[in-house]
Amino acid sequence: MWSKRSEWLITSSPFFWLLLFFLIPTLIVIAFSFKPSELYGGIGSGWTLETIGKIFTRSTARLLFRSTWIAISVTALCLFLSLPVGYYIGSLRGWRKHFMLLLIIIPFWSSFIIRIFAWKQLLHPEGFFHKILVNLNLIQPDATLLYTTSTVILVMVYSYLPFAILPIYASASKFDHHLLEAAYDLGMGKLKAFFMIFIPSIKNGIYSATLLVLIPAIGAYVIPDMVGGTHSMMIGNKIAEATFIERNIPFASALSTLMMSVVLLPLLLAAILQNRQDKAHAIKGGH
Amino acid sequence: MRRSLFPFITTISVIIFLYLPVLILMASSFNESRFSSEWLGFSFKWYHRLFEERDVWEALKNSLYVGSAATILSTIIGSLSAFALYRWSSRLQSIHWGLIYSPLVVPDILMGMSLLILFLAFQVDLGLMTIIIAHTTFCISYVAMVVYARLEQFDDHLIEAALDLGASSWQVTARVVIPFLLPAIISGALLAFTISIDDYIITSFVAGPGTSTLPIYVYGMIKFGATPIINALSTIMLTVTFVLAIAIQLVSKESTI
Amino acid sequence: MIRILLSLILLFALSSCENDRSKLHLYGWEEVFSKEIIAEFEKRYDTTVIFDIYDSNETMYAKLRTGASGYDLIVPTLYFVEIMQKQGMLEEIDWDQIPNVKNLDLNAIWLVPDNIKKNAFPFYLSYSGIGFRTDRITTPTISWHIFNSKEFSRRMTLLNDIREVIGAALITLGFDPNTTNPEEIDHAKQLIINWKKHIAKFENEQYKNGLATGEFFLSQGYSGEIMQVMEENPKINFLIPEEGSLISFDFFAIPKGAKNKDLAMKFINFMYEPEISAKNMISFLERIPNQEAYPLLPEYLRESHVLFPSEETQERLHVIRDLGEDIKLYHKAWEEIKE
Repeated sequence: MWSKRSEWLITSSPFFWLLLFFLIPTLIVIAFSFKPSELYGGIGSGWTLETIGKIFTRSTARLLFRSTWIAISVTALCLFLSLPVGYYIGSLRGWRKHFMLLLIIIPFWSSFIIRIFAWKQLLHPEGFFHKILVNLNLIQPDATLLYTTSTVILVMVYSYLPFAILPIYASASKFDHHLLEAAYDLGMGKLKAFFMIFIPSIKNGIYSATLLVLIPAIGAYVIPDMVGGTHSMMIGNKIAEATFIERNIPFASALSTLMMSVVLLPLLLAAILQNRQDKAHAIKGGH
Repeated sequence: MRRSLFPFITTISVIIFLYLPVLILMASSFNESRFSSEWLGFSFKWYHRLFEERDVWEALKNSLYVGSAATILSTIIGSLSAFALYRWSSRLQSIHWGLIYSPLVVPDILMGMSLLILFLAFQVDLGLMTIIIAHTTFCISYVAMVVYARLEQFDDHLIEAALDLGASSWQVTARVVIPFLLPAIISGALLAFTISIDDYIITSFVAGPGTSTLPIYVYGMIKFGATPIINALSTIMLTVTFVLAIAIQLVSKESTI
Repeated sequence: MIRILLSLILLFALSSCENDRSKLHLYGWEEVFSKEIIAEFEKRYDTTVIFDIYDSNETMYAKLRTGASGYDLIVPTLYFVEIMQKQGMLEEIDWDQIPNVKNLDLNAIWLVPDNIKKNAFPFYLSYSGIGFRTDRITTPTISWHIFNSKEFSRRMTLLNDIREVIGAALITLGFDPNTTNPEEIDHAKQLIINWKKHIAKFENEQYKNGLATGEFFLSQGYSGEIMQVMEENPKINFLIPEEGSLISFDFFAIPKGAKNKDLAMKFINFMYEPEISAKNMISFLERIPNQEAYPLLPEYLRESHVLFPSEETQERLHVIRDLGEDIKLYHKAWEEIKE
């Protein structure tokens, strides 16, 4: 019905918009990594490898390593929490399902800044929560709940959890629970059934959840900046400092390029896995 | 065999975990005392103080302006995108799909950086226009996803039937496809609006020094201002967001995003 | 008829030319000019002031580097004046053409190098030091060594600023905060890495809120900002540590090629009227070295040891200078401190 010409016509506006405002800027960032930075902020003329050289320091390596393991921890925790949640909500029917989903989604929509701020207040050393924990003998009176790496991980899990729950729920809602019942009938234990039957069939949801948490987590900087301490600096913080405080754009670009490369790895992995799965499906003749 | 209670308990715990901090924050906004460690009585005084802050109105105005503009642009472009992705599957669409999917997974800081550098490279002054461009850019993908999900539920046979009955391509589009898509387009638009209103990171990269949107204003207040006033503002923003989120869900009953 | 029309058009043309010439394009920090003062200048000189804000010297510098920025008056910090002087980016300012120069408190600006004066006129000074809660720290003086102690572990902050933090460490060790000696800088770095173990975080802005709510007990901070907190909260105080600290000066300067140089000079002069200086000081709580303004200040400001540190304290102050290429030594040390 719609011609080839229509395809170009309709695809043109999103295509060119994203080309101009997403792809090309990314390329410019990579290009700027090869520009020299001026002493007092600003981009020098000509091209150089010096800026790239500056990012290969021990400091950057430590930041990268820390950012990666924090991101992996956050992803692991999010998956751990979202698998049972996705399973449960996926098993509900009717209004209960929609209601639960609504409850999970609503915080997802609220402002990220506000949610971080809520934790800053909650964990305040002079706040009521701190007092309660001290009274219950769970922490020492002079313990600080804020400005540690654990705080960063906690608040990150809090921020990214809905991103993990939703894709897992999406897969889980297509799961046929009768398979599990059949397994139980055949004598399989609950936990074993969960891992051998449920998890593999929601593979796609798990991949999506992992990507949707891991990648933004590597790039986090506002959370470590607001609730992190002196030993929780992440690579995003360095980019933000280079951009906003030092105005060293080439250096910030070089670091961004580095982050892009790091982030690209899980994406490529996901694409390859997806490709293999699609080929398998095609061979099976499924739709 | 009895179902394990573990998933249920986990779900309830997660829900409590997600809501507790914000509920406490909202409750604190009504605390007469400045400090959360003591409750001195119910009061609206922080709300009164909030309304006296001049800059918050400026920030609100900017947020609404940017939100509306970005919503309109991204809804149109995003819907077109979803349609193209659904209808055709060519080389072009593969690249198109990559372009649409990537903004969803890229960390905000990278998007912010690249837009900032684009504007620096072309010596564009940072201001409301650059914020609108940035917001539109990341909202397109969300709208596209929502509309695409709806399109996947569309029964192609309806088109065949309409054509058989003598309708033209454009009539079919206008009378069959678009009405079907309308709930998704609306929820996509609401989604884009909500995301735009709440965005902090990307906006902070592309806003000029004098320009402020609501999240930037909140961030500034966290650094400089009185805590309970931020609570009051946050409570209002959260309430509006909750209402919008419920609206989105009601409009698109079947969508998962 | 046509002649009347022509003369009207000419009149309009001339008057609009006049208007173009009498707009002052001001570029500065947000807090330094209150709206009332700007409005009064506009009224007195029958002109319009367009005030653009920047949030850092670097932003201002980047904008001006491209030339023809359209600004008539800027407010750079001392080491940026040096940088911009070296690059010929500033017009000359003849101090004799500013009648109110007679009000200048020369004692306050004794640390300003002479060569600055050719292209800049002092605006205000600000000190960095330690702001603290008086219900936790009751000693009459304070030392940078407090950051070595576990006593207030995780309830202290340092600024997130290379020159301020490394400068403080250098001063504590008895070195010059403008040193380019790599060994001295390295020594300072080790000290700061030790300090780092006891602080909550490096923070440039939230420390004020933190002090006010009791989240932090002491913070390295700026005098003007801490005075703002002190106004609202009597339990806060500010001291310049025993070993010394840094003072910074912000200046008026006129970018090269500014269209309204005369108006800019008039603005500088206006800011040094005693009442105007006093009003400004009350609004942004920094010290403007205008000795005729001091008596006009309310008592709590006149007597403030923050705005008017004793002579003995003033001798412990150092000013940050531009280091040129050698700043890279500091950058490297900072990178290793922050990791």
